[in-house]
Amino acid sequence: MRRYWAGLAVVATMVAGGCGLGAEEPEAAAPSANASGEVKGKVSLQTWALKPKFTDYMQGVIDAFEKKHPGVEVEWLDQPGDGYSEKVLSQAAGGTLPDVTNLPPDFALPLVKQGLLLDVSQTDQKLADEYVAGGIDAYRFAGFQGVYGYPWYLNTDVNYWNSELMTKYGLDPKKPPTTFDELVAQARILKEKSGGKVYLMSRRPELGDLFKEGVKLMADDGKSFTFNTPEAAALLDKYRDAFKEGLLPRDVLTDTYAGNAKLFNEGTVAWTTAGANHITSLATDNPTLAPKVVPSTAMGTPPLYVQGLSVSKKTQNAPAAIALARWVTSPENQAAFAHLVSIFPSTKASANDPFFSKSDGTNASEAKVIAFASLAQAKMLQPVEVTDAMSKFIRQQFALAISGEITSKEALDAAVAKCDELLQN
Amino acid sequence: MTHRRWFTPWLLVAPAAVWLFVFNIWPSINTVVLAFTNAKPLGGGRFTGLANFTRVLNDDQLADALLNSIVFMVVCLPLLTMLPLLIAVLVEKKLPGIMFFRTAFYTPVVASAVVVALIWGWMLNDRGLVNGFAQWLGVIAAPIPFLTDRWLLLFSAISLTVWKGLGYYMIIYLSALGNVRRELHEAAAVDGAGPVRRFWSVTVPGVRNTMLLVSVLVSVSALRVFSELYVLSNGTGGPGGRDMSVVMLIQMYSRGFTGHLGYASALSIVLLVVTIGPMLLLLRLNRKAA
Repeated sequence: MRRYWAGLAVVATMVAGGCGLGAEEPEAAAPSANASGEVKGKVSLQTWALKPKFTDYMQGVIDAFEKKHPGVEVEWLDQPGDGYSEKVLSQAAGGTLPDVTNLPPDFALPLVKQGLLLDVSQTDQKLADEYVAGGIDAYRFAGFQGVYGYPWYLNTDVNYWNSELMTKYGLDPKKPPTTFDELVAQARILKEKSGGKVYLMSRRPELGDLFKEGVKLMADDGKSFTFNTPEAAALLDKYRDAFKEGLLPRDVLTDTYAGNAKLFNEGTVAWTTAGANHITSLATDNPTLAPKVVPSTAMGTPPLYVQGLSVSKKTQNAPAAIALARWVTSPENQAAFAHLVSIFPSTKASANDPFFSKSDGTNASEAKVIAFASLAQAKMLQPVEVTDAMSKFIRQQFALAISGEITSKEALDAAVAKCDELLQN
Repeated sequence: MTHRRWFTPWLLVAPAAVWLFVFNIWPSINTVVLAFTNAKPLGGGRFTGLANFTRVLNDDQLADALLNSIVFMVVCLPLLTMLPLLIAVLVEKKLPGIMFFRTAFYTPVVASAVVVALIWGWMLNDRGLVNGFAQWLGVIAAPIPFLTDRWLLLFSAISLTVWKGLGYYMIIYLSALGNVRRELHEAAAVDGAGPVRRFWSVTVPGVRNTMLLVSVLVSVSALRVFSELYVLSNGTGGPGGRDMSVVMLIQMYSRGFTGHLGYASALSIVLLVVTIGPMLLLLRLNRKAA
C-alpha cells in the first residue's frame, strides 16, 4: 500500500512540475544571427524527396557552389517523401535542424514560433528585389516581423478536362465551364446524357474554395477564424443541392483531396484540378487518356503552392548557409530545375524566360503555359495557421453539410468554433 | 566453481528492465503527465489542471467515437469468441487435406491489416466488385453505400475485423481443444449425447478459460480498432467523421508540428478507463459461471 501511495506521489509531482516537457512558447523570434563574414566551412542542406529522380541535378548545383566557394563543404541530406514533417519535427525538437532546410510555409510557421528560423530579410537586403512578392509573402507570418525563408519553386493548379467523355456526352471541351454555376449546369448535362455513369464534378469544397468566393477566412491578427459567413453557407448550399441531384459521386463524402484526380485518371470523371505536371505523369499512369486531356485556367483565384529554403537560427555558419540558400534558389538554378519538372521559379528574373511562356503545341506544354500565366494572380488559398486536425474537422463538417445531415451554417459555425479552440489551445 | 554476487540477477534482468522502462513504463507515466498540460511537439507543456478532461466531456466527436468503439466491441465479441471455436472444432479432426483448410483460415491473419482493408475498400466501393456484381445480376438498382453510410461503413469494418481475426483465435482454440480429454467425449457419446450436446456440455466447459482469454483479447482490440476504419474511410473517419474510433481521434489530435499532445493524452486515458470496464465485467462473469 505504501508503495502505491509513493507511486501516486511521484506521478503528482511530475504532473505539477510538467516533467519531461518542452519549454514555454517564446513571445516572438529574437533578432537574426550575424550573417556577415566569409563564406567557408561546413554547411548542411536538407531537401524533400529529390533523390533519386533529381540526384544529378542537385549534386550539380552543390558541386558548382563548392567550386564557387572553395572553402565550403556541403553535406546534402535528402529525406523520403513520407513522414517528412515528423522528421523535421524530431530534428527541431532535438536541436539538430540542418543549416538550410526545405520547408513549405506551413512547416516553417511552428518553427518560427519557437524562434528556430533565421529572419532572412534582416541579413539579405536584396530579397524583395530578386524574388516574387507572392513567394516572399508566403514566408511572412502574422504576429512575426520578417521573412523566414527563401522562396524556391512555385506551382499552381490547372483545370484538366477529358475531351473524349465531354464530346461523347454532349459537351464542348473547347468551352469548358469557367464559373461554378456553369460547372453545375454542364455536370447536369453530362449526368443526363451518360445515364449517371460519368460525372463532371467529384471535388468536395475545401477552405480555399470559400476564399475564392471572397470569404475572409481569418482575422488579420491571425488569432481567430472568420469563415462562417452567409457567402460561405451559400456555396456549401450549392454543393449540397448538386450532391442531392446526383451530380457528384457519393465518395466525395469520404474522399481525400487527391480523390478527384484519381477518378479522373481512371476515366470515370471528366474534370480534375492538378499541378502543371499532371499530363506528364498521366502519360505513365493512363497513356491512352493523356492525349485526350484539355487544360484550362483554374476557376477563380488560382492556388499558389510555395516551397522554400529556410535557414536555421542555430547555424554555426550563417554566411555559408545564406549563400547556399541563395545559390539553390538563384534564377539559373531554378530555371535548370524547371526544365526537368513542371515547377516555376520564384525569381523575378525568370519572368521573361520563353520556356515558360511559349507552348510547343502539346497539351502538357499548354498546361505549363497556362499555369505560368496563372501565377501572376495565384494566392495561397488557405492560412498557414490551419493544422492537420483543423483541416480534417473542416472537411468532416463540410461533408455533413453536403450530405444534408446538418445545415451549412451549423457546419461552418462548428468548424470555426473547433478551429478557434485548436488555435488557442 | 560458482561466482555469485548480489547483482548478478539484476545484471541479467537489466536489458529487459531498461527496455520495459523506456518503452512501456515511462511512456505510460508521461501520458498521464501530459494529460494535465497543453503540451505540443514543439513547446507548450504548461500545467492546465483538468482543462483537457473538461474538453473531453464536451467533445461530440468523442461521444461518436466511443459509441462506434462500443458497437464494434459488442458485435465482435460474440462473433470472434464463438465462430473461431466452431471452426477449430471442424478443423481439429485429422482428415486428409485438413491442413489446407487450417492454412486457408489462417491466411488473413498473416496479411497486413492495411493491405486487406485496401482490398476490401476496392471490393465495397460504389464501383467495386460487390456492387458491380449485384448490379449486373439486377439484384440492386443503385450501389449500396458500404463505405459512405455511417452504419454500413462501421459494419463493413466489423465484417473485415471478424474475417481477419477468425484464424488467429482458431489457432488458440485448437491448442485448447487438445487439452479436452477424449474420454469425456466418449463417455458422453456412450450416454447418448449428440454432437451439439457434446459441444455445449464437454467442449465449451473444457475451453472456458480460453474463451475468457479470447473474449478479453477481442474486447481490448475491438475498443482500440484503427486500421480497418482508417483505411476503409480513406483516413477521413467516414462521412462527417462519424465513423472515427477513439484511436483515430487520438491520432487526429497528436499528428504534425502542432499536435495537441496534452489533449491526445487525455483521450488515451479515457480509452484506458473504457477498456478496463469490459475486462473486469468478463472476469466477473467468468467467476460466476465457474
